[in-house]
Amino acid sequence: MVPEPVDGPNGAPNDESDLQVFDLTPAPTRPERIRRRPAAMAAVAILLVALVFVLLRTLGDASLFFYEVSEAVERRSELADSRFRVVGTPQPGLVEIDVDGEPAVVFTLCAGDVLADVAHLGDPAELFQPGVPVVLQGGWVAGPAPGVADLWSPAADGWHLRTDHMVVKHDNDYRGDGAELAPCGDQASIG
Amino acid sequence: MATTTDAGLGERDTTGSPRSRLLGIATLIAVAILGVLAFALTEPDVRIHPETGEEFGQFDAVRMLYVHVPLVIVTYLSYGICAVASIGVLVKRTPWWDVTAHTAAEIGTIFCGLVLVTGSIWGRPVWNTWWEWGDVRLMTTLVLFLMFTGYLALRRITEDPRRQARRAAVVALVAVLDIPLVNRSVEWWENRTLHQRSTLGELKIEDLTLFTLFFGFVTAGLVLAWLFLHRFRVGWLERAAIDHGVAAAIVERQSETSDAEVRRSVGEQPEGPEEGLVP
Repeated sequence: MVPEPVDGPNGAPNDESDLQVFDLTPAPTRPERIRRRPAAMAAVAILLVALVFVLLRTLGDASLFFYEVSEAVERRSELADSRFRVVGTPQPGLVEIDVDGEPAVVFTLCAGDVLADVAHLGDPAELFQPGVPVVLQGGWVAGPAPGVADLWSPAADGWHLRTDHMVVKHDNDYRGDGAELAPCGDQASIG
Repeated sequence: MATTTDAGLGERDTTGSPRSRLLGIATLIAVAILGVLAFALTEPDVRIHPETGEEFGQFDAVRMLYVHVPLVIVTYLSYGICAVASIGVLVKRTPWWDVTAHTAAEIGTIFCGLVLVTGSIWGRPVWNTWWEWGDVRLMTTLVLFLMFTGYLALRRITEDPRRQARRAAVVALVAVLDIPLVNRSVEWWENRTLHQRSTLGELKIEDLTLFTLFFGFVTAGLVLAWLFLHRFRVGWLERAAIDHGVAAAIVERQSETSDAEVRRSVGEQPEGPEEGLVP
């Protein structure tokens, strides 16, 4: 804005007071007002909340990392009452049976030379196959798994894993027929 | 597409050029060839179990390999470019670096979103789950996606381009630290992920499968290059349009205030009679 002129005769300031009103001394500039956009700020806030949620969720699941079957067997007394994840390779042989009125599959999981019998409630994963490692979620139950006598080589150690969540942990081999199947006991090649 | 005439940059009304059109045609051809290779010529992953004689493997779901993995690579590449350009923003402080960083982040975020979607589609038949909370690679990838989405949102908070550029550059440099975590997570936390270890690193892929995967890398690279070229040009035109608008506003404002008014405001006699002021 151009200041309102305060003119005397001939367009000149008419007295000293006018000169004071019309001060030409450069004034310090006002700090620039930052215009912010509320929608963008809301979006950033939502994303921060989402980030915190993801981190909390991840940390919350920290106790549910995968135990290998051998480790789960070794720590059985410690894990007796807890729910955990266990990774292992199903051995050939599968029994379909009802457990507590629910359809279930019973099989033996292995890691190294260690075996554990499993009663998995519900349908197994679509690509569930002997030799293809799986991650199961559940806990130890005292007593043999139902139908364990029909398995090829059960652990039959007086305990079994009762699980209700199964995901497949496929390997990293894409050589088709030339692919190596991870034998029980070779967990190094599990993908 | 933005009209460049408005920004005073000539008569072109497109961000395309003969070379970029050539690149676009090459990209489309590559996508078509990749589609044929991935969905028709390569074999499904079917193996015969040595003990039971039953078929097992990923079957047709393995075809997602040729899309998902190249998308991951171009996501890393885009965010890598963004990080380098962000350093340029902080050191050189020129708009070129900022437009480059913004472009790379935007395209990288699209690719990262596609990585999450294609991974989920692949995971359902193969893993038996769409999503697995606690899987360290999924989580670090989601965090990467969220951080760069935040980067893009942050750029819109203020209209001051310099402030915008500096803040965004710092966020990008922090966010990009997640990439090594995403990439190495399958080795560092093997018992916390369903993801497989590196296939290429252990050479467990060969023949047409390997060729198709590499062709996927080339195709994704072409898509990245084409998108980058156009988005960069749009970004540059946006910047030019802002500068042009500011310059035009200054000229307009100057024309509103006549020389005589300015002279009178500082107590000087105007040099000649002015229309409307002559008695």
